[in-house]
Amino acid sequence: MSALTGLLRGVYGWWWTVLPPVAGVAVMAMIIGALVVAPRESVEGDVQRLLYIHFPSILAAYGAFAVVFVASIVVLWRGDLRWDAVARGAATVGVLFTGLTLATGALWGKPVWGVYWTWDARLTSTLVLFLIYAAYLLARSMADELDEQAARFAAVFAIIGALDIPLIMFSVTWWRTLHPQPIVMRGLDSPAMPPGMVMVLLIAFLGISALAAWLAILRTETEWLAKRSATLRATVDRREGA
Amino acid sequence: MQLEFLFAGFAVFWAAIFVYLLMLQARLRGLQREVDRLEERLAEREAEADAAPRTVTR
Repeated sequence: MSALTGLLRGVYGWWWTVLPPVAGVAVMAMIIGALVVAPRESVEGDVQRLLYIHFPSILAAYGAFAVVFVASIVVLWRGDLRWDAVARGAATVGVLFTGLTLATGALWGKPVWGVYWTWDARLTSTLVLFLIYAAYLLARSMADELDEQAARFAAVFAIIGALDIPLIMFSVTWWRTLHPQPIVMRGLDSPAMPPGMVMVLLIAFLGISALAAWLAILRTETEWLAKRSATLRATVDRREGA
Repeated sequence: MQLEFLFAGFAVFWAAIFVYLLMLQARLRGLQREVDRLEERLAEREAEADAAPRTVTR
């Protein structure tokens, strides 16, 4: 057990050193790739370049919500509040990137569809995901940092909320929607995009994922510090009251 | 016309990330200061408790 903890700490320390420079370099490459290197899309024009932040942002959000899902299961299983901090840290980043996906999608939709927003199945289910985890964060922030029961209720809410993700992913195939069908890869051997676009998209995915992971770790550190502060405050109050 | 939307998309994205980082940094600093202050206060209380004469009841 102590060897596993040591290994996890080592990996955590390693990520802490490696993530910021990787995110910085990949994000710079992504900006140059998206605005200069990637070919201009013949139908949608330059506004299609928003795809290089729109698509990796929702993938980063899915990754963050997957972490929330796993951390919430651990909270219910072991009652360890450190995992509640991990879930809250990842949920904040997930909400941020879902919001950015909705915003960049709206800015792409106006020139291409003629409207910023439509009650399409993909858009609506993504908005629902944003609202579910915004509500989770709001509810959890209103309860005490060290309240185990509140952490358990929040964990149940987060696990149920994650059920919206497969709904979003399959919404374009289950219902007739305005949102484009999957275009990055139609099949493993038949990409629906030119190789130049796929390459920029892969770099963008690496950059935005590294950025999201770094932000989630920073946010989790903040949550751990908030819990430590609450524990210390309770100890000081007990000593001064005694 | 299309370039305006492209610019707006990138601007919104990076502005949101930048503002979020600033907020996170401010909260981290504030919490670190609070933890340091509470640790100092706890150490003071423990020192006072050690220095206080103990009453022994028989």
